[in-house]
Amino acid sequence: MSAITVSHLQKIFQSKRKAAGLGASARSLFQSEYTTVEAVRDLSFEMQPGELLGFIGPNGAGKSTTIKMLTGILHPTSGDASVLGFTPWKERQKLAFQIGTVFGQRPQLWYHLPAVDTFTLFGKIYERDDAFTQKRIAFLSEAFEIGDLLETPVRKLSLGQRMRCEVAASLLHQPKLLLLDEPSIGLDVVAKQHIRDAIRTMSQEEGVGVLLTSHDAGDLEALCHRVIIINHGQIVYQDKVSNLKRKFLTRKTVEVRYAEEVNVNFNLEGMETLKTGRYGVKLSFDTRTTPADAVLMRLSAAGTLVDITISDPPLEEVIANIYGRQLSVDSGL
Amino acid sequence: MKKYWFIFQTQLINSLAYPGELIGRALTILPFMWIFYQLWSVTFASTGQTEMNGLTLKMTMWYFVVTEVIEISRPRVGNTISETVRDGSIAYLLSKPYNFMLYHYATAMGGTIFHALFNILFGGGLIWWLVGAPPSLMGVAMVLPALLGAWALHFCIAALIGLLAFIVEDISAFLWIFQKAAFVFGGLLIPLDFYPGWMRTIANFLPFASLSYAPARLFISPSPQAFFAVIGQQILWLGILGLALTFFYHRAVRFLTINGG
Repeated sequence: MSAITVSHLQKIFQSKRKAAGLGASARSLFQSEYTTVEAVRDLSFEMQPGELLGFIGPNGAGKSTTIKMLTGILHPTSGDASVLGFTPWKERQKLAFQIGTVFGQRPQLWYHLPAVDTFTLFGKIYERDDAFTQKRIAFLSEAFEIGDLLETPVRKLSLGQRMRCEVAASLLHQPKLLLLDEPSIGLDVVAKQHIRDAIRTMSQEEGVGVLLTSHDAGDLEALCHRVIIINHGQIVYQDKVSNLKRKFLTRKTVEVRYAEEVNVNFNLEGMETLKTGRYGVKLSFDTRTTPADAVLMRLSAAGTLVDITISDPPLEEVIANIYGRQLSVDSGL
Repeated sequence: MKKYWFIFQTQLINSLAYPGELIGRALTILPFMWIFYQLWSVTFASTGQTEMNGLTLKMTMWYFVVTEVIEISRPRVGNTISETVRDGSIAYLLSKPYNFMLYHYATAMGGTIFHALFNILFGGGLIWWLVGAPPSLMGVAMVLPALLGAWALHFCIAALIGLLAFIVEDISAFLWIFQKAAFVFGGLLIPLDFYPGWMRTIANFLPFASLSYAPARLFISPSPQAFFAVIGQQILWLGILGLALTFFYHRAVRFLTINGG
């Protein structure tokens, strides 16, 4: 049985509209205007138990709305969904015992209390006995490296530390499925890596399925087996991550900074110079034709490196690329 | 029910995170009680009587201690629900295996208890110093369940208004109307004993009297009959409002849209 089955899911909102100015405000008191927003349009997909599925797309694509329908918080306008055998919006509380959720932009930990108090509270809320909760807290402390953070009030933790505690809290009751809505949003590179490592470990050790929404292509590269790209509420692409990487995430951007002034011609074969400065350079290269290690060797040979950043193309660019290819196929070019 | 008891306990601990703020907020009862004392001292002195409509100055002042403790300490759950809808954190509250309303009731009461204790300490202390000890010990014992009933009623009404946030988001106007109605028909500024007969009749048909007037009146004139009348009326209103809350919650949750997707 699939962990998640979604069939022709649709969510339509009515959003109030008002023009700028006092006159428009006065008019809106008597006559309101609404815009119909199709947040999710005819969405269908499946996810297998234990799978790590990336659900990605730019801001406003419909990712969060979908995940909130799958947790039963929002009722769909039409369509069906089954999560671990439950219809989420009809059996929300039964489903809640089986899933963990993290909504990256919103805290679930009690802000003024140490995280361990929320963990203990969650143990009671999920109706686990004290021995189970204590054992689980010890296990998660190790897996997420949060042992020394648990007794600090949450308000005093950094965002990265807090997010590790948030994800750990969502796993306290040992759910079968984890729904993560932008868990890495706003985090620096190190904190993102920490979170990704911990999620991957938990998935491997406990077989927990992970549905992850993100607008960061790095999240799915690091974590997911399969990816669904959604834009304007519709699936624009779904495939294995390895195929996506091969087809669309081949171009990398590398930015380096040197300890001293450098004066080198960076117009190297297979690389495109995006920006040059006295102390650094920003280049882009295609991994299919130019291996990353070759690029790094050439760059390190030019001087003493003090900083280096390698990044993927922005997701918007990937989506535009996918659209471009689809249009070419559709028009037979 | 064990989980709601633990939520209540967690909120109690949470209330103590800032003890200075807790004490500072409770100190606001002092100017209110001082002003009431000045106003009613002058009123009684101007009539030249020690008793008006069955109330002495001492009874009137202890009446206001109870009404003010209820009003200042009461759960602000309407704003809490509205805030969770506005900032989207309602997503977490709805994705946990508990009853949404009982969760809010447990946290609301956990936040109320310490505020009430400090308000009683400061407000009661000042009035004791100004007019003497409370009228009777029986009143102290009888008012405790009535206080819990009053806060439970406050919770139901404020939560009903809070649920409007699922549809209209900004509920401040509705809360304002409720507060003013509670001021007038709950006898917060003037005990209902001083109202004209027709207005007292209207007040008795509304839930507001059970919110503050009835517990305060029970405190200053306790009797077994009065106790059962007050608690009975509170239970009746809790039944009606509790049913309304359950019905509207199930309706409202279908209208929910969450900010930020």
